Amino acid sequence: MPVNFQQLREQIHEMGQNAPALQAERQDRLDQASRLLNELANDLPALTELVGRAAALAPHLRCATPAAEPLDLTAPARPPDPHLTLLAADGSQINPSAHDSVPFGVINVGVFEMHPGQGSPPLVHTRSRLLTPEEVFTDHGMLGEEVVALMRDLREREELLELARQHPVPVITLTDGPLELYHEPQDNARFRRELQHYTEVLEELAAAGVVAAGYVEKSRSDLLVRLLELAQLDREGRLAQAGKDRPFKFITDIELLRSRIGPGERSAVLGIQTAAEGHFTGRLAVHYFYINVSPTAKPYLARVEIPAWVAQSQPLVALLHGALLWQCQQMGAHASPYALHRAHEVAVVRLDEKQQIEDMITAELRRQKVAVEQKSHKQANKELPGKRRRP
Amino acid sequence: MTPIQIGRLLRSTITNCVMGCRVTEMDAPAFGGMVRIPQAGGLQIYGLIYDMTIEDDGLVRQLVTAENISDDVILDNRINRNVPVEISVLFIGYAQGGEVYHLLPPRPPLTLDTIYPCTPEEICRFTAAGRFGYFRHLLRAADLPLGELLAAHLQQTAPLHTAAGNPAWLSAATQELITLLRDDYPRLMEALATLGELKFLI
Repeated sequence: MPVNFQQLREQIHEMGQNAPALQAERQDRLDQASRLLNELANDLPALTELVGRAAALAPHLRCATPAAEPLDLTAPARPPDPHLTLLAADGSQINPSAHDSVPFGVINVGVFEMHPGQGSPPLVHTRSRLLTPEEVFTDHGMLGEEVVALMRDLREREELLELARQHPVPVITLTDGPLELYHEPQDNARFRRELQHYTEVLEELAAAGVVAAGYVEKSRSDLLVRLLELAQLDREGRLAQAGKDRPFKFITDIELLRSRIGPGERSAVLGIQTAAEGHFTGRLAVHYFYINVSPTAKPYLARVEIPAWVAQSQPLVALLHGALLWQCQQMGAHASPYALHRAHEVAVVRLDEKQQIEDMITAELRRQKVAVEQKSHKQANKELPGKRRRP
Repeated sequence: MTPIQIGRLLRSTITNCVMGCRVTEMDAPAFGGMVRIPQAGGLQIYGLIYDMTIEDDGLVRQLVTAENISDDVILDNRINRNVPVEISVLFIGYAQGGEVYHLLPPRPPLTLDTIYPCTPEEICRFTAAGRFGYFRHLLRAADLPLGELLAAHLQQTAPLHTAAGNPAWLSAATQELITLLRDDYPRLMEALATLGELKFLI
């Protein structure tokens, strides 16, 4: 059945009617948060102490923590380092499905290698790994999407580490999305093993002096806003409500900082208050800053995540800032790191390629006289000609 | 000396083909240039390059909006990205068993066949054989920039014949074209006007 546009039209109209009031309310909260940011931008020790008190009251508190820079700092970019090696990785996967004739998975990782301004053409590297039926099935059933996604993230890091070791510093490794991983279920033994390996690779990158960074577009993060909420609650004597009562609810960090960061500039580097049992601690503790990659007066902010050991080095933050801005400038109207886009182009696995791989597997099994099951009727029906598939 | 390939065949018919070449291989082929496609059994198919197309894609369309495109990005797009230059070739004859035929080849070449530029000796041998029978293929093909293609062909070929001791070749070729086009006044005038641009004909 097609979408009932008549019903949707009424709901859209109602949504539109409510939007101005919601926007006004939101703007009011944003103005309050912005005023608080102006007041507290330089009170770093007091804010650090405040976070400590709040975390004692709410152990699972998650918010920004001040690092070395004033909260309202903006810094211009340096030109990219003439000796830089930039490695960007992206991955894609085929998740195992019980509906296929042979349950299998594929992890495909593409790495784009660039030496900006050094005259050598960029290089592309691709690594594809088949997850055989033996790997796909575990004691708990078929591998879940979360585990495969984590395996993909891990392979990206492994490829980056292997390539980074072949070049002298400065080397930046860049991935799409946050450094810190939130995949569920975290109680799965396989998942914990992969996550442990992931952090070990990050440790090895750190030991080699290789800058690791995660680039996040359209971030809805509100960690800085949550820090300001603590200050607001403290002023109202309600710090015990930390994490529960949200005076600046639905305001994001990007909304708060958008008008403050000029074209090409970055924000202050901030840390993250997170649960003590997290995997990303010590020199891997995740820090972040925002960068305005827009070449025009209309700002476009992206969030950049870095480990603590990079955040604590002004030269490395400046190196990364300059490299990212230069990358974004290459992409014209839709500023975004060129190397990440190219890594995505290299890594992406298309639907027709999945079918080709499945055909190759079934052909090989039949050559070996191994019985191959048929696809589920449901899957076969979905693939009937004339049916438009979702991308 | 090992011949330098300029591309591989993408698709073909009995009268023409389209080959793909990387941008880095773009130095060799030229509009009006003669190419050779070796086939099994010693068969050599000859053709003239009559069109070249450079395809764009979404990324390229976006990159052109950037203020300054770095050399790194240009190199990446020309070397690494899968955007081949498409070169269209009109078949003008073939050679087999030491004989040159200004006829269509017995069968079209196959996908991914290698294409080489013709050497001066091959060009002189093919174009001096018979009485310019290969002009028929050019005159028959619709939608060709005929005058421009003939001018490019003569401009590249005449000096080779002169260097090989056959300076009369150009005059004979022009006379033959006039004869073939004598009943098609507009095309004849167009061809002669374009040939008039050739410095060595004036």
